[in-house]
Amino acid sequence: MLQRWNGVAMCLLTAMCGLAVAQEPVKIGVIEPLTGSVAYDGQSYVNGAKLAVAQRNAAGGVLGGDVQLVIEDGQCSPANSVNAAEKLIVRDRVAVLTGAFCSSATAAVQPVADRNRKILLSGVSSDVRLTEKGLKYFFRSAETDKLMSKAFSKILAKDLGLETVAYVGVNDDWGRGGVKNFSADLSEAGVKEVMVEYFDHGETDFSTLLAKLRAAKPDGIFIAAETQDGSVLVRQLKEFGVQSKVFGVGSWATADFIKLTGEASNGIYAAVPYVATIGGERNAQFVKAYSAAYKNSPGKYSAAGFNALNILMDAIARAGSTDSDAVRKAMLETDYKAPNGEYRFTDKGEAYGFDAVLVQISDGKLNIAAQTTIDKP
Amino acid sequence: MDLFLQFLINGLVIGAFYALSALGLTLILGFMKVVNFAHGELYMLGGVIGWWVTSRLGLDFFSGLLVVAVAMGAFGWLVDRFLIERIRHEGEEAGILLTIGLSVFIINTALILVGSTPLKVAGPVAATPLFLGSAVVTENRILAVAVCAVLMAATHLVINRTRLGRAMRATFQDPMAAQLAGIGVANIYACTFAIGTIIAAAAGMLLSSIYSVQVSMGGLVTLKAFIVVILGGMGSFAGAILGGLLLGVVEALWGGYVSTGWVDVIGFSIVILTLLFRPYGLFSKRAERA
Repeated sequence: MLQRWNGVAMCLLTAMCGLAVAQEPVKIGVIEPLTGSVAYDGQSYVNGAKLAVAQRNAAGGVLGGDVQLVIEDGQCSPANSVNAAEKLIVRDRVAVLTGAFCSSATAAVQPVADRNRKILLSGVSSDVRLTEKGLKYFFRSAETDKLMSKAFSKILAKDLGLETVAYVGVNDDWGRGGVKNFSADLSEAGVKEVMVEYFDHGETDFSTLLAKLRAAKPDGIFIAAETQDGSVLVRQLKEFGVQSKVFGVGSWATADFIKLTGEASNGIYAAVPYVATIGGERNAQFVKAYSAAYKNSPGKYSAAGFNALNILMDAIARAGSTDSDAVRKAMLETDYKAPNGEYRFTDKGEAYGFDAVLVQISDGKLNIAAQTTIDKP
Repeated sequence: MDLFLQFLINGLVIGAFYALSALGLTLILGFMKVVNFAHGELYMLGGVIGWWVTSRLGLDFFSGLLVVAVAMGAFGWLVDRFLIERIRHEGEEAGILLTIGLSVFIINTALILVGSTPLKVAGPVAATPLFLGSAVVTENRILAVAVCAVLMAATHLVINRTRLGRAMRATFQDPMAAQLAGIGVANIYACTFAIGTIIAAAAGMLLSSIYSVQVSMGGLVTLKAFIVVILGGMGSFAGAILGGLLLGVVEALWGGYVSTGWVDVIGFSIVILTLLFRPYGLFSKRAERA
């Protein structure tokens, strides 16, 4: 709701500026959860996106005009995200779309975007199936569960000395996909699966699940959960005296996650495509600009939003127009230098070439335990 | 068998929290006949204000709780006098629309003020695990259950033993007669809403010290509270407590022996069955339909 007023304010502003510069702004539609249990992560994505756009506009914009974001709250729900997509396409007439965070929501938006011949770039949704549908205008600049588990399963199994693992995931496409892929790859590495459980978004009390975990006594616990659910779960794990090693996927490698989780975050591992402490000049600049704008260091989703918008704006600039077919062609030629490696796309719209890191949190610091580049699938 | 004890304890702890979350709603819904869809948001506000006074103003937990109670009591009183009063005799639909609007307003105002970051209220005791045989429960949960019990007992005393409580009961039995007897009916309505708000907010702050509070978490709280109220019977004090405990235990056993992934299914199934077979609630003496 708030974002809508922001949008209105931005429309008014650009309308006024429009009098001076005649050139039409390039509109980009953003669908992210701004309320609900992943609101924090969705907001990080929007923050990263806004930073990318502000930097681009300060450097002259795209196609001679400013880039304008139209942001909608999809709440991570398929129904709301579809409504948001329809509104962005029909009413706001955006040139391209990015969203909708949760894999289930993105899957629902895909046919809408495809029917309207709009480029849809997801910077977050990691369900493997999204790029397997043969959709012409869909791209993904995110790590899939499959790529992450392939990259880190062996390292995890060896370095943590795991023999048995329990899998816990949030009850949606992303959580189930993460559990499925990691359990397949870890099983291949000789790690035994002792328990699989799911929980719903926004769950607050995990005591039942923890009782089962305590009884199963696994060496390691794999968790697929975002900031809110994940921090509560990890904290309660320690409260209930569960001693297993904890690792997982989700936006854990951030200062806010550590603050929320407190001492319980000590020693846990997170497999992420981005963490603020990776090296390189491009990342140093990104961290500096982001911290200056939001008084907080960027996390996985801030980088995802930043990268997705830059990839889209680059493609529109290269295409020389906002025509979907021209932009699609330009997207396939992407060679974007991100804070975390370089992004390229396969013909299916799957990104590769960027880095992935295994982060260990110790004493409130984010230490990189392993770093690898996501190969062409 | 070892696990059964653990599931039972977990269920009772969660059930006590459910009961407290629902207590405020059963007052407002049962007595005032206002279907309060902003209940979860009042709970959330309690958590957010609790976080603010403890982490920003540096108050200890219980002083913070007192501040939350006073501030939210005043807020609830004002909401009733300036908003709900206008639609008092317009039927339930007006109340539903008004409280849905109120909840949207509260969520978005809170989003502007504190953002979407989850917040953790510092609890009065640490979450040290206590081992009871093979089962484990944390100290902060035991304390929270104790505070729940105190709050419930206090509410019970206010309603049944004080002048205000007597005036409340009289007003909701027959507003006209109560008014003729010299009771300031408008004030009684506002006080009832204020008490409901205080309980919701206190529950919010208490539980935010165990879990965490996030601006848009209210919807789930409202849903669970409605389940408990329907289970226990509207306006039934004991019903809310028993309903809460029952829901907690059933959820814990279902999650423990079947699957934690589909735990909400059980709550809603119970609601549907209750509405079909005992529309006044499981613990209500009235069984006939109105």
